Amino acid sequence: MKIKENINNFITENASFIFSVPAVLWQLLFLYVPFFLVVYTSVKKISAVAGFDITFDYYQAILSSPYFYIIARSLIIALGVTVLCLICAYPVAYFLALKVNRRWKNGLLFLLTLPFWTNFLIQIYSWVFVLDYNGLINMLLLKLGIIQEPLHMINNTGAIFLVMLYYYLPFMIMPLYSILEKIQHDLIEASMDLGATHWQTLRRITIPLSMSGVKTGVLLVFVPAFGEFVIPAVIGGAHHMFVGSLISHYFLVARDNQLGAAFTIVSGLVLLVCVLLFNWLCAVPLQQLQQKE
Amino acid sequence: MRNIRFDHITKRYKNGDLVLDKLSLEIPGGTFFALLGPSGSGKTTILRLIAGLEEADSGSIFLGDQDITHMPIYKRRVNTVFQNYALFPHMDVFDNVAYSLSIRDVPKDIIQEKVIKTLKTVHLDKHVYKSIQNLSGGQKQRVALARAIINEPDVLLLDEPLAALDLKLREKMLIELIDLQATLKTTFVYVTHDQFEALTVADHMAIMNHDGEIEQVGTPKEIYEFPVSTFVAAFVGTTNLLQGTLHMSDEHCFVEFVGLGMFEVVCSKEKEWMHHGNTIFMSLRPEKIDISKTPLAGFSNALEGIVQSIVYHGRSTQYNVQLKNGEIVQVFEQNEEHFPQEIIDYDDPVFLYWQKENVVLLEK
Repeated sequence: MKIKENINNFITENASFIFSVPAVLWQLLFLYVPFFLVVYTSVKKISAVAGFDITFDYYQAILSSPYFYIIARSLIIALGVTVLCLICAYPVAYFLALKVNRRWKNGLLFLLTLPFWTNFLIQIYSWVFVLDYNGLINMLLLKLGIIQEPLHMINNTGAIFLVMLYYYLPFMIMPLYSILEKIQHDLIEASMDLGATHWQTLRRITIPLSMSGVKTGVLLVFVPAFGEFVIPAVIGGAHHMFVGSLISHYFLVARDNQLGAAFTIVSGLVLLVCVLLFNWLCAVPLQQLQQKE
Repeated sequence: MRNIRFDHITKRYKNGDLVLDKLSLEIPGGTFFALLGPSGSGKTTILRLIAGLEEADSGSIFLGDQDITHMPIYKRRVNTVFQNYALFPHMDVFDNVAYSLSIRDVPKDIIQEKVIKTLKTVHLDKHVYKSIQNLSGGQKQRVALARAIINEPDVLLLDEPLAALDLKLREKMLIELIDLQATLKTTFVYVTHDQFEALTVADHMAIMNHDGEIEQVGTPKEIYEFPVSTFVAAFVGTTNLLQGTLHMSDEHCFVEFVGLGMFEVVCSKEKEWMHHGNTIFMSLRPEKIDISKTPLAGFSNALEGIVQSIVYHGRSTQYNVQLKNGEIVQVFEQNEEHFPQEIIDYDDPVFLYWQKENVVLLEK
């Protein structure tokens, strides 16, 4: 009896811990262990003799390789997509959260999530049919007599950019919407009541209060966009290498696991630095704002 | 200070429900004005119309001679203390109070000086740089107040500002609000459903009914002592309402209550509804009745009844007395002595006395 009681007590007192064990185990097995293996591969010297020797040769090779610029390129594209997503998403989220009648809200949110009902690859491939040389847009423009020759709209950076924007936009809208919706309406009324115009209210109340949503949205878009490889592969053709495509190239095509691992680590570090930088940037304006007045 | 005047204001909710129907009201400038009414009576709508948070469907609102019906909210020299304070959570006390000045690009040293001065007025100068989250309910209330008065508005609107505070603090804040109004001379418009708050703070007050109509406007004393309708009589304070028939002769006036007999009242010939045979209501305040187990002389009216229940309030005791016709009358007795000479208990037969001047006759 006593033992059973003790066990019961242990379970109730440590319930949150016990229930988190499966998830932690999962993370450990499929994230941290593989990550460690990647790190291990990137520094292990291949030699005839069995054993373990540390080497940074592969890192040197990556840093001096002509492919290093691909990291910069991915970074710029990801940054561009993120900024554009933010600019496009904020008004949508603002409108949905603060202006739309409650009755329509759920319907509009449903429309927003509708793309997720279709497989990601199918979504991306359908863009090929839209942008293709013989695709929908060219066909329409030709029919309407606006152009005489079909436009080259696919297999270039612009197309990649467009499709990435299309795909990542909901990931920006959702966190912004959920944070904007929580803003008490009387705060906005109070701001106007105290003499602020719509614009001043947006700048000094609404945007600062939605910063945590901006942060979440930016990370949700920027991080996967940096590693994106399906969209460049499908829309950009063979010539537009991104971090993601290069990693898969190293491992799957070139079969150079060591270089692939080193490249993965380097680009991961670059991403980490970017995220930390972004966090720091987010914290600064708030402090400045507080010190200003 | 300029008066606020509502001229035939009509306002519908978005769902089409009529809140205010051709409402006219004049709020005297420079006074503490209370709008008292049950929830849903449209008193908050009146406040929001003055603030500019809502726009009237028809009619006009004037501030002095100026028509402010369609003036944008941020141009009005009207500030509001919101019900839930609506303090900006990402700013500290200073920035909240400084908000209206900083958006107008007032020089920093002037802002600094004014904020400190205003915080002193509301006794909050010890918490200038505290964050909003670390304030108590009463302190938040003071920040909201300071934020609303710093720009010296023509009108300060207060929307049930003390609803979230406990009784002791509420009483303290009421006194402070009265002092503040006396110092600033700003027109205060105070919305509440609490008649105690309204009677305490107001120089003038308006009573609104469930239909968004104004029943009566006057000083607290006028409204309490001379209500114009049973609604006002019952909503402001406690009263006994008895329905009876009016009997008028040349010299005297009586009301007959079924099963109780005739009672002398004071009639005014000017009121057209006061004529012989009319059904009317008599409002008799519980504190205006004397209760006794023995017959007393010198009162114009007396009733007999049986004590049904007793509620001890501390400073007074409430007796619920059942009359012969079954109706219950409430009586308040001041607890003036430690050891009262006469102890009234449950089921005691008692006499109730009142003077004819102390009742109010009402048409409806």
